[in-house]
Amino acid sequence: MAQWLAYLRRTPFLLFIVLYTIATGGPFLWVACMSLRTTPEIFANPYDLPTHLHWDKFADAWTTSNYGTYFWNSTIVVVTAVALVTVIGAMAAHCLARYRFRGRRVLRFLILSGMVVPPQLLILSLFQIMLDYRLYNSLTGLMIVYVATQLAMTVYILEGFFAQIPQDLFDAARMDGYSDFEIFWRITLPIGLAAIFTAVTLNFIILWNEFLYAVVLLTDDSKRTLPLGIMHFMGGHQLDVGMIATGLMIAILPVILLYAFFSETMIRGMTAGAVR
Amino acid sequence: MFLAPALVIYVAFIVYPVLRTFYNSVHVIKPHNVTEFVGVANFATLFKTDPVFWKAVGNTAIFTVVGTIADVAGGLLLALCLFVRVSFARVWRVVWFTPVLMSYVVVGIIWVWIYDYDWGVVNIVLRWLGLGTSAHSWLGNPTTALWAVLVTHLWKWLGFNMIIFLAALYALPTEVLGAAELDNCGWVAKLVYVIIPMLRPTLVNLLVLSFIGKMMIFDLVWVMTGGGPLWSTETVSTYVYKRAFDWNTFDLGYPSAIAVVWSLIILIFVALMTRFLSQRDKLEF
Repeated sequence: MAQWLAYLRRTPFLLFIVLYTIATGGPFLWVACMSLRTTPEIFANPYDLPTHLHWDKFADAWTTSNYGTYFWNSTIVVVTAVALVTVIGAMAAHCLARYRFRGRRVLRFLILSGMVVPPQLLILSLFQIMLDYRLYNSLTGLMIVYVATQLAMTVYILEGFFAQIPQDLFDAARMDGYSDFEIFWRITLPIGLAAIFTAVTLNFIILWNEFLYAVVLLTDDSKRTLPLGIMHFMGGHQLDVGMIATGLMIAILPVILLYAFFSETMIRGMTAGAVR
Repeated sequence: MFLAPALVIYVAFIVYPVLRTFYNSVHVIKPHNVTEFVGVANFATLFKTDPVFWKAVGNTAIFTVVGTIADVAGGLLLALCLFVRVSFARVWRVVWFTPVLMSYVVVGIIWVWIYDYDWGVVNIVLRWLGLGTSAHSWLGNPTTALWAVLVTHLWKWLGFNMIIFLAALYALPTEVLGAAELDNCGWVAKLVYVIIPMLRPTLVNLLVLSFIGKMMIFDLVWVMTGGGPLWSTETVSTYVYKRAFDWNTFDLGYPSAIAVVWSLIILIFVALMTRFLSQRDKLEF
């Protein structure tokens, strides 16, 4: 009896949990269903399971609606930017965490203060600077901006971790005749791999989803990244809900697939900047 | 030597642009390298004769105050739900976190459909409940548009706050919670007198993060409403963007002035929040 009462008292609570789960997960399942249905089918009943699986819509989106181009642009920019920011950031973090030199505190403060610079303060002048350097409307320009804007956070995450590596290891390595670069390459990087992985995840998600810098710095259709491509397609084909849904799926699938396998790592990555 | 590449990129693409924005803010800058020094004229216009700017400030303020409080309180609530040993907690956690990983463009488009007058799920549920009269175009109506965008923003970020709170909750000393239980303290009292004071550092962190994010909100508004209808969702960031790239004034000076003013306001508030909230922290322990 008491057991039964306890269940009854928990019902509203469990109901809330189920409702919130539907509210967060539901929209994605809905879009996944719509991405496999044609627009007329969707308008007949927006909330139906796909009866015929129209996989050809993905092929269609990829070629005729240019999503293939957008996807590769996003991939190229994001992968290169993440790789660069990780290497450059790891080097800087290693230096700040390991060496004592004049002006270290000032430099550290300068770099980390980049985390609180609002994007509006950068975006207008970056637009001018990119025009000056002829990097406006180029994927290289966008990539450099991405590296610059993500640098502070990357250094912040990695430096905290690198500073915890025991100094003895470095002293031993120096005794064995390792050069500065070898110490970085063969000690800091392998030991800090977990932190590096976290930083990579975080940067990847942020940049894959980035919109503001891309919308200001790119204009050609052939250069658009996925978020811009979807917005552009949406502008031209407001009512083609089925095709937009397919485009949305193309944008979220890589993230969802990674999430399915590495959910813990990705959660840790996304929250790394907030707590340390 | 290890620091060099980072410093070069940093100075060229962060420090220099920031300084250049400050320089821009006291000039009028038109295409074809026309730059004219105007002193504080931009700031004077901004404060005296720009109703749209003040409308945008009002919207952003509402969005930030309500949003930040709801974000942090809601995140704490969700974290507590999972903290009290509910079954399948891991599954709920993973699902609740998914929106955090999605881009504003994806989230925005999905929610434009959810709010759709004819076939959006919000209105369908309302009609099904027999409340068909209160069904309306949520994003097309100036009185509800800002709130509709705010709900979407909360939906996206609640999972993030939840995860951070959950991590903090698990780090709490179990003896204290056990002692509270022994004292037969009700769960509301336990929450207010035991858990929240112990979570204060996390709380302050999340308040500041959420505050910064909402003061600078651009993407979601841009995707969902573009600032309309009738400026009802115009935020400072969307206004800066519009003045710089959409209006045919083609002047980068004036929007730079807005960006400078707004960034200073953000920094001042962040400094105040950290100082004020962490000082109370010291007094209490």
